[in-house]
Amino acid sequence: MTVDEKTDGRSDGGRVVPNYAVTRGRTRSAGPDLPIEALMTATAHGRAALAGLAPEYRAIVEASSTPRSLAEIGAVLDVPVGVARVLVSDLVESEYLAVHLPLVDADGRPRRELLERLLDGLRAR
Amino acid sequence: MDCAPAEHGSVARPDRQQLVPLKILVAGGFGVGKTTLVHALSEIPPLSTEQEMTSLSVGVDDAAVVPDKVTTTVAMDFGRITVDDAMILYLFGTPGQSRFWFMWDELARGAVGALVLVDLRREDDCFAAIDYFENRGLPFVVAINDFPGSGDFDDETVRDALVLHPDCPLVRLDARRADSALGGLVALVEHAVARSAA
Repeated sequence: MTVDEKTDGRSDGGRVVPNYAVTRGRTRSAGPDLPIEALMTATAHGRAALAGLAPEYRAIVEASSTPRSLAEIGAVLDVPVGVARVLVSDLVESEYLAVHLPLVDADGRPRRELLERLLDGLRAR
Repeated sequence: MDCAPAEHGSVARPDRQQLVPLKILVAGGFGVGKTTLVHALSEIPPLSTEQEMTSLSVGVDDAAVVPDKVTTTVAMDFGRITVDDAMILYLFGTPGQSRFWFMWDELARGAVGALVLVDLRREDDCFAAIDYFENRGLPFVVAINDFPGSGDFDDETVRDALVLHPDCPLVRLDARRADSALGGLVALVEHAVARSAA
């Protein structure tokens, strides 16, 4: 892995992970694009494999010990969503991460029972 | 509310279905209070994510032309609300300018709806967002952020000025206050449920 030379003025000297270096030039993931709110959780398999993973993969699996969205993983690694999507897709393919997709109807909208559950949850706050 | 540990993912939720994410967009012109509202409601510290403009249009075969430096990225603030033991809601503050609409398509897909924040001193800034969500059929609520002077205009005047559809809810809130901002979200989800029934 190469080290990203860019600095963005932060005290730690820049990104934790260089962008398209770690994706080996890939800008798209192999499968269908994960939506930005898709949730990831580390699998037992992924936790067991932690020590052997490259740093950027390890950071993602560790962060996903609690459910994390693709957007959060991008923020944790300080990489654009597109980069996070490629890396996460690799981990999903290896079954180190489980992915939890939005549940939508045929028209692409969230199911009605989910909207009602959301409403109950927000009103109870 | 704390989010459930992942270890409980498949064993401790026999009666709740799997983890389910939802998202709501917070739209509006520059400086209208989108970030303020997201931060007021979010249970996590403010996070920002970047969307790289070229990443959506460059395919695998074009890897050789991928620039080695990030040129243009769009920062997007977002927040998170754990709704119950298996449901997590994300709020995305969406860039208001029309040149970022390529992002809105991805963001709008599967969204519960949008809260369109309006500053009545600069109400022109919200038209792009209103037009976009109307055309997409995405449920949205217009929320007037309570800047000084916003009380000078009654709802009817505001509706006329914004050419709002009679079915579109209009609310007033203070984006800095969590309880007030939450009221805007509730109004939106009520609207989305009603639309879902139709």
